[in-house]
Amino acid sequence: MRISFQEELDTLQSTLLEEGQLVLRALRGAINALEQRDPELADEVIAFDDEVDRQYFAIQEGIQSLLARQTPVAVDLRLVLAMLHTNLHLERTADYCVTIAKLTKLVYDISPDPKLVEAFEEMASRGEEMIRVALDSFAKRDLAVAETLVDLDESIDLANRRVVQHILALGSNPALREWGLRMIIVSRCLERIGDHAVDIGEQTAYLVTGEFREFTDASHPGSPAS
Amino acid sequence: MTGVTPIEVAQAREPRAAHPNREVVFQVRDLAALYGTSPAVRGVTFDIYRNMVTAIIGPSGCGKSTFIRCLNRMNDLVPGARVEGEILHHGQNLYGDGIDPVQVRRWIGMVFQRPNPFPKSIYDNVAWGLKVHGLKDDLDGRVERALQSAALWDEVKDRLRGNALGLSGGQQQRLCIARAIAVEPEVILMDEPASALDPIATTRIEDLMHELKNQYTIVIVTHNMQQAARVADMTAFFSLEVDPDGQRTGVLIEYDETPKIFTQPSDKRTEDYVTGRFG
Repeated sequence: MRISFQEELDTLQSTLLEEGQLVLRALRGAINALEQRDPELADEVIAFDDEVDRQYFAIQEGIQSLLARQTPVAVDLRLVLAMLHTNLHLERTADYCVTIAKLTKLVYDISPDPKLVEAFEEMASRGEEMIRVALDSFAKRDLAVAETLVDLDESIDLANRRVVQHILALGSNPALREWGLRMIIVSRCLERIGDHAVDIGEQTAYLVTGEFREFTDASHPGSPAS
Repeated sequence: MTGVTPIEVAQAREPRAAHPNREVVFQVRDLAALYGTSPAVRGVTFDIYRNMVTAIIGPSGCGKSTFIRCLNRMNDLVPGARVEGEILHHGQNLYGDGIDPVQVRRWIGMVFQRPNPFPKSIYDNVAWGLKVHGLKDDLDGRVERALQSAALWDEVKDRLRGNALGLSGGQQQRLCIARAIAVEPEVILMDEPASALDPIATTRIEDLMHELKNQYTIVIVTHNMQQAARVADMTAFFSLEVDPDGQRTGVLIEYDETPKIFTQPSDKRTEDYVTGRFG
């Protein structure tokens, strides 16, 4: 039994899951800043990204070192590769939170449309749930739970489409138009966060089954991914 | 720290279909090799394919070397050794009546763990097997071709009459490979061919295997799993079963394409072995 190797794998995974917790904090901070029109909180979210990046680089370095020294195979190799991908998905999710925070700073003096704020809260809550489910399924190697992410993502996608329709209907008020354009990007960021959570679920599936596949095929919607 | 669930093997899938496009060289069928009454290996069934490197891996005592020695009847030389079951070589039972073990070993050559050149010249080491098998025409040409195939020619062409024992360990092993291929066998069996060599010499032997498989079928026993991962197209994992009497017998656990064995083995025992959790 390669004890130190197993310890390294365990440490890498727990660092990855901690990174996931940081991403959840970033997302909650970004949404609170948006809803409360709080530019200071938005700044904190932007600065907080350095914490996520630190974890991200630590995991990258850890994986590089482990690959160079331990030549993992079989389930160990799959775990290392799945962590490599998941690490990137988490880092990208945190970047979307930074984008939301930056957009918030640009329009905080404009009174938001309460319906849209409600929609963003719904999307963000669903996004948080998806990240939790994705990380949990990864830690527990639970394929069935990972596959539920597809349905969860569907509701974010629907909310995204509703937001776009609503913004298109805002009319020609220039202030609202600028706000609306910014908020379309916010909506897009939240929608992408859901996609990254699904991608983490796909890494869980790879880890468990050894097969690379997408849960859904974006270029052939409605058909099961091959 | 979040709890990590126990390591699981990749979920078992449907067994893969036989490989219709590959030519089978050996069909091993329910093979057992016994010393006296105790089996060293038993119940081994699988096919070995032409122009591929097939690696046999497994913990010490699992019968890897015993198995590979069955493929060219090398175990005949061990008193008390016998086999049960069948090894069909292109459909013909290697242990059938009227089969000459010497001829078997000509078609199915062997390279051993320790380089074992004769204390003769480099030239004579290669020429000896040719003379034994009556391949005396164009002896010089055959010796040169064998040394070239073994990637040794350039290093020894100016000292063919020099003593083979003056070569380095890696060169001696390549000389033994040259000796094995001089008689133009179909199969080369290699029993830990690089375990006594340094990393550079090991790399040369591994490169050589890649070259040689275009012309020959290679079966290699190795303790070095990374070597199996690097050189083999197919990998067979043998392990030990212990019966209630404490009798330990080697069995074939899993046989598949090498990438499969090292990324998603189907059997938990294979996974435990290749990941270093057992053995």
